[in-house]
Amino acid sequence: MIIVKDLHKSFEDNQVLKGVSYHIHPGEKIVVVGPSGSGKSTFLRCLNLLERPTSGEIWFDGQNITDPKIDINKVRQHMGMVFQHFNLFNNLTIMNNITLAPVKLKLMGEEEAKENALKLLKRVGLEEKADAYPASLSGGQKQRIAIVRSLAMNPRVMLFDEPTSALDPEMVGEVLEVMKELAESGMTMVVVTHEMGFAREVGTKVLFMDGGNIVEENTPQEFFTNPQSPRLQEFLSKVL
Amino acid sequence: MQNIWQHIYAAFIEADRWKLYLKGLGVTLEVSFFAALLGILIGTIAAFLKLSTRKNGSKTIASRIASAYIDIIRGTPTTVQLLIMWSGILATCKNSVLIASLTFGINSGAYVAEIVRAGILAVDKGQMEAGRSLGLNKFQTMRYIIIPQAFKSILPPLGNEFIVLIKETSIVGYVGMSDLTRVANQMTSKLFDVFTPLLGIAFIYFVLTKVLSILLAKLERRLRKSDNR
Repeated sequence: MIIVKDLHKSFEDNQVLKGVSYHIHPGEKIVVVGPSGSGKSTFLRCLNLLERPTSGEIWFDGQNITDPKIDINKVRQHMGMVFQHFNLFNNLTIMNNITLAPVKLKLMGEEEAKENALKLLKRVGLEEKADAYPASLSGGQKQRIAIVRSLAMNPRVMLFDEPTSALDPEMVGEVLEVMKELAESGMTMVVVTHEMGFAREVGTKVLFMDGGNIVEENTPQEFFTNPQSPRLQEFLSKVL
Repeated sequence: MQNIWQHIYAAFIEADRWKLYLKGLGVTLEVSFFAALLGILIGTIAAFLKLSTRKNGSKTIASRIASAYIDIIRGTPTTVQLLIMWSGILATCKNSVLIASLTFGINSGAYVAEIVRAGILAVDKGQMEAGRSLGLNKFQTMRYIIIPQAFKSILPPLGNEFIVLIKETSIVGYVGMSDLTRVANQMTSKLFDVFTPLLGIAFIYFVLTKVLSILLAKLERRLRKSDNR
């Protein structure tokens, strides 16, 4: 579904990704962990070209999306993204946050988009917030809405960039719950997170990134009980 | 006490002198209004040009031109700009309101450009990223997400700029236009009374700017709706 070939990304002199290659299959839940500065967020943000790779290729559904001739806006319609800081549109109500993209991109009529939004809001238990503004919601509620906003586009893959890192501890659970449910529904997911419990429980593969490369990749079971590289052993000993 | 009333009577009422002030006020308002419109138009365009970047993130030529315009206009006195327009660039033009409106509009545009630019930059960049990640293009995200949010923070300094603009038009007497200030000035030498005409127009200017700021405050409150917690 997503094939990454020899991905490099530099910010001026700072080389953040040093030749990452990976293959994500449909239905997989890839969890990416690693120390800060390891390049895991940059890797994720390259997948929908929020960061332009310095070199290397990314293929999505048989299309080389790093080709400058590709209409990246079209591609992004199929790749949902959830951010650490939610990034709900502050000037719009929850309902309009969800319906803006489908309606403006002419994927749905206004009525259809609203109906769909209500259905999704119900799924995360927030239908009574439809007319509220983001400023009146808690962090956990905002992130659940952000997930719904992405889902309203019917994406084929969902990217999560540390979705629970900015939340109060007591709100982490409600967001992870929604993500778990999404995983069970068969969605292809790539999740950058520090939640090791989530990685173990939901991930089909866990990647360990360090120094701009994927250092180790394994099933959650093997990843946590039998880490190979000394760097991962050290990392796990600190976080578990 | 009687003396004060005599002064006021002489300065404003005797010989229908209030009509002169009214005419002067008309000139001041006309120039301010058209200059403000032009300033918003030029300023908004200049702000977006200055913000424009190429694909690789470097500045466009349009961006450099906009920067130069802002630099030059902000770096030279308005009076000098007005005199240059009057006696140089538009010397053959007979319509003095047009000349003044153009001058102040171009001048105000430079300040408005920086106000608009700052407002857009003040919107969290996560908002643009979220819009783009949903498949909206840059223009759509600007239009539906960024500009409505920027507008809220643009409004207060923009109001400030309009207040400055109204007051700054008081220099049009330099090029022979009879605005509020010039009328009062002529009156002081005619009546040998320095204070009354000037205090009178100071009051008028104050009322003008006060009304403007009340209207803007109202608009601001309405735009705050989405901030309610």
